[in-house]
Amino acid sequence: MTALVLGFGLLLTGCAQSAPATEQSTTSATSTTAQQGTQAQALTTSDTWAKAAETGMSAAFGKLHNSADYPVELHQVTDAQGDEIQLHEMAGSGQDMSMKQIEGDLVIAPGAEVELAPGGNHLMFMDLKEPLVAAQTITLNLEFSDGSSTTVDFPIRNFDGAKEKYDEHAGH
Amino acid sequence: MSTQGTSIPRRLLLGSTAAAAAGGLLTGFGAGTLRSAQATTQIPASELGYRSFYGQYQSGIIDAQQEHAVFIGWDMRWREGSKDQSKKQQVQALLQMISDDAARLMSGRGVLADTEPEMAQPPSELTLTVGLGQSLLDVIGQGTVGSMPAFANDELEKQYQQSDLLIQFCSQDPTVLHHAVRAVSKNLRQLTTQRFVQTGFMRPMPGADTFRNLFGQVDGVNNPADQAREQAVFGEGGWIANGTTLALRRFEMDLDRWDEVDVTGRDFALGRRQSDGSPLSGTSVNDPVDLTAENELGLPSIAANAHVALAKPSHGGETIHRRGYNFDDGQHAGLLFASFQSDPRSSFIPVQHRLAAADALNTWLKPVGSALYAILPGVDEGGYLGQQLFS
Repeated sequence: MTALVLGFGLLLTGCAQSAPATEQSTTSATSTTAQQGTQAQALTTSDTWAKAAETGMSAAFGKLHNSADYPVELHQVTDAQGDEIQLHEMAGSGQDMSMKQIEGDLVIAPGAEVELAPGGNHLMFMDLKEPLVAAQTITLNLEFSDGSSTTVDFPIRNFDGAKEKYDEHAGH
Repeated sequence: MSTQGTSIPRRLLLGSTAAAAAGGLLTGFGAGTLRSAQATTQIPASELGYRSFYGQYQSGIIDAQQEHAVFIGWDMRWREGSKDQSKKQQVQALLQMISDDAARLMSGRGVLADTEPEMAQPPSELTLTVGLGQSLLDVIGQGTVGSMPAFANDELEKQYQQSDLLIQFCSQDPTVLHHAVRAVSKNLRQLTTQRFVQTGFMRPMPGADTFRNLFGQVDGVNNPADQAREQAVFGEGGWIANGTTLALRRFEMDLDRWDEVDVTGRDFALGRRQSDGSPLSGTSVNDPVDLTAENELGLPSIAANAHVALAKPSHGGETIHRRGYNFDDGQHAGLLFASFQSDPRSSFIPVQHRLAAADALNTWLKPVGSALYAILPGVDEGGYLGQQLFS
């Protein structure tokens, strides 16, 4: 893990969230890490949130927008509590959907938006080391294929959905 | 406001025009006025259905009253083993979440994790107005509003008493209102337990801020308007700048026994006529309540124990702004009394003591709920409700 990742601030803060902010421009938030022309700088996010959970698995969602004319390739997601966080996609159809890890990076085409949503692509916490407590906020570090990275706040909310089956046999 | 909604200048939403009529009669069950007719017609902006979450004051206080309301009280469920500092942070996180919820819902968007965001549209003048009980001010370590004292003849039920947290939800559309209530309630699960849900309804009389309560009376006459309203609600003596207090009382009405009372007796008990809200000392709803007026027999036109006689502010400092609703929960019906005032100790509380002791209407009223809340100041964009208390 790079120094950049270790350098950013705290996790799970009750106070870090500037409450009604609806869109985080990751470029301004991370001017030290998002260099001009990097994938991190091309990313803007909105409506990000994570599902509250005491232990075990959970998931995070939101809209990821690529404002650049080159692709953004999300390579890895980490947090300060050292959780394993995978990029997942849903496979199958109807009631019989299951999720599996995305092979390779999550690619956002130039000018495109990818929505991470229950029942669709999402960020998956595999085994929480600390609870995700509703009303608090977790900060995730998003790392891209060009080595750039940025932090994004995910307010934590109660949610009864997102009970997708996990396909143990899918390629990890 | 950042979405498709139009940001509406707050002054457009402030109930009425300059006709601020001479001083307020303060009747809990009073009569009607045409005073704000002009104002009502001057609010095309409200047809857009958006009220701003951001501003000097919270919405849902001195702006025009919506027809449907739900008041919900919650008590905190602290995380296990919480110390004082942790509790304070939990309250802070809660207020940040509620602020985000309110900003989204009032602009016609779903909250985060909303499973039915479509129901937030159009918001139909939705407002969320947030207050804290003294218990939470104590946890935060700032602010004093105190608690509601006991009043004579109170028959309070525990479920309608003081909660830690209160949100007043108002809208013109009960479906939108239901969605907002459910969205926020879902977010508060595990963090709180719900103490009460009190649902209310009213419809303004044509061209006025008044409405018929379930006794049939014209309610809301002589509510302060314009600057007088702002002064009563946000003026000196408040617990914090741009904040106020909410007195919330639940009065069940004994409508079966009210049926037995003829109209003369009803008018006598209120001090106004059921027909048009005019005071017994006058002929029109806008006539002042004159406690010295005598009838043809030389007796006071308005009895000393008539509701309006006791409710009339003995001085300007007793003026409150009423924003109450009718309720019918299937078992009981009555008035969900809600009033905003900067300092309840010098306004609502002494007036309510007078009424509780002697009001002729008490015969048909049973107070079952009573609570007092610190209503938080308004929020600037990027801020959250109660932020002043955490700096």
